[in-house]
Amino acid sequence: MQGGGSLRWWGILAAAGVIAVLPLAFPDSYWRTNLIVCAINVMLAIGLDFVLGFAGQLNLGHSAFYGIGAYVSTLLIMRLGVPFWAAFVIGVIASGAAGMALSLFAVRLRGHYLAIASLGFAVITYQILLNWISLTQGPLGIYAIAPPPPLALPGLPAIDFGNLANLLYLVAGFALLTYVLLDQLVRSPVGETLTAIREDEISAASLGIDCRAWKVFAFGIGSGVAGAAGGFYASFVGTLVPDAFFITESFTVLAMVIVGGMGTLSGPVAGAILLTILPELLRGIGDLRLIVYGVTLTLVVLFMPGGIAQAARLVRARLGRSPPWARGGDR
Amino acid sequence: MLTVAIQQGINGIVVGSLYVLVALGLTLIYGVLVQINFAHADIVTLGAFAAYFFMHGLDGGYLASIGVALLVGAALGFLVNVAVFAPLRERGNELLPLIATIGVSVMLENLMLAWFGPIPYAFESPYSGEVIRLGGTFFTVQSLLIIAMSAATIGLLYAFMKFTFLGKALRAVAQDRETAGLMGIDPNWLIMLTFVIASALAGMGGAMLGPVLVLTPFAGASVIVKAFAIVIIGGFGNVEGTIIAGLLVGLIESFTTQILGPGLIDIVVFALLLLMLAVRPTGLIAERREENV
Repeated sequence: MQGGGSLRWWGILAAAGVIAVLPLAFPDSYWRTNLIVCAINVMLAIGLDFVLGFAGQLNLGHSAFYGIGAYVSTLLIMRLGVPFWAAFVIGVIASGAAGMALSLFAVRLRGHYLAIASLGFAVITYQILLNWISLTQGPLGIYAIAPPPPLALPGLPAIDFGNLANLLYLVAGFALLTYVLLDQLVRSPVGETLTAIREDEISAASLGIDCRAWKVFAFGIGSGVAGAAGGFYASFVGTLVPDAFFITESFTVLAMVIVGGMGTLSGPVAGAILLTILPELLRGIGDLRLIVYGVTLTLVVLFMPGGIAQAARLVRARLGRSPPWARGGDR
Repeated sequence: MLTVAIQQGINGIVVGSLYVLVALGLTLIYGVLVQINFAHADIVTLGAFAAYFFMHGLDGGYLASIGVALLVGAALGFLVNVAVFAPLRERGNELLPLIATIGVSVMLENLMLAWFGPIPYAFESPYSGEVIRLGGTFFTVQSLLIIAMSAATIGLLYAFMKFTFLGKALRAVAQDRETAGLMGIDPNWLIMLTFVIASALAGMGGAMLGPVLVLTPFAGASVIVKAFAIVIIGGFGNVEGTIIAGLLVGLIESFTTQILGPGLIDIVVFALLLLMLAVRPTGLIAERREENV
């Protein structure tokens, strides 16, 4: 969107630096916990933005893919004794495959139809998690899920992820890695192809682009990222209940993407951080978290549909090149 | 066995006709605007709460409370149109209004949660206790009332759309907004009217659903996902299709409860929806509108 290639890498390096000092700046477990939640939400938001902002498909089933990743990896670990990272990868693949399957089902549909089909998928997934008690233990939930196993690097002491600081490094580092990969993807010809489909499917098809395949691909990537977030969520929280993956979760992530600015990757990161941290700061007034989400989502769509990213661009344009009085009209 | 089937059939028609009331509102709005109002669910819930508080706070009668819910629904529809759909109309983005109403819905549900609390309200109609026996089957006066009121409302709406000038103007706007505008019809006024009618139906549906459902701030949300399924199964924007699909979903729901248990209702309904989308995405009755398919 902005700046040259090198500027972007400096930004990513700065983000890595910030992540490195986070546990030092926040020694208490309350804020470390919130920051891990934040990193998980960042992953969910950029995953949804890839499908919504870049491929132009309104996916209201994100909560389902998040849940599939969490349940598949946890059940593999706890029922079959599969090692954590293998289960994690299978969970990501399962979410991605579920996303691609839904997308194949709905590939002929656009806009509103896809929104409702994906909403329906989220409802079905939630109901299955709730009702297939022999597998998921239904509303009782799965308890005592272990954190990721200690990572033993040769020549170094083992890194224990039961420690919140280390877990924060792991999840935030993974979120940053996901961001870099998606960022590269979006800037490659793949991103241009997806944008072309989003803007005008018929013209794209006339250029020989297989719109179906690309939409399925985008859905698979976005859902896979949600699945990874789910795998971390389970091992971080230690318990899984279906309510964590209710449709409301899809709307929460949607609010993060829209508030940040869909169609940019940095915007949803800012949206996810803002909408995770802000309600924590407002805790005194009671549990108004979702009211805040609803109000901001509506107001942003009405008055600043480009979200924080658009606001940042406007501010930069004002402060940057020329003083406001020397410029013509704003648009 | 047969009496059980008849009994479940009646239950299905009762619930189905209420779903039709809710889904018709979505279909009407979609027909005119090609937009989805996600906050429709909360108009249903607020209609139910309005009726409840009218009966329990003001000692009003049940029939009058349905009228109150209708007015509350109409007012809310007016507000949603003014606050969200009218300002976004010029932007011409197909997804933004839907996203904005998701925000409105999340806000309303949680405001209701803060005010009314999560504990279900016991909304009892005085007619639920009066039972009529016919052979081996029983039905309450309440279920007769629901079927009669829904049928009358749907009939009136149908007559309004078919025979009155305003109804014809509405259909004209739905077919081609610009041409209708050139013929001297004010589309903005008619869109507003559509929202008011659609939301009045939702509010009224809420008052009648109140005694059927568990009345919590999320009561409408559980109905609306089925209403979405109904609208798609019936063919978006198609009134006849919506009526048929609504009754069908009501019947499927009551027989699913009987045969498979209540936990599987949503799964069966949405499996049907996904199947429908795969096999016949235009809905039971095909519309001319094809751009979404």
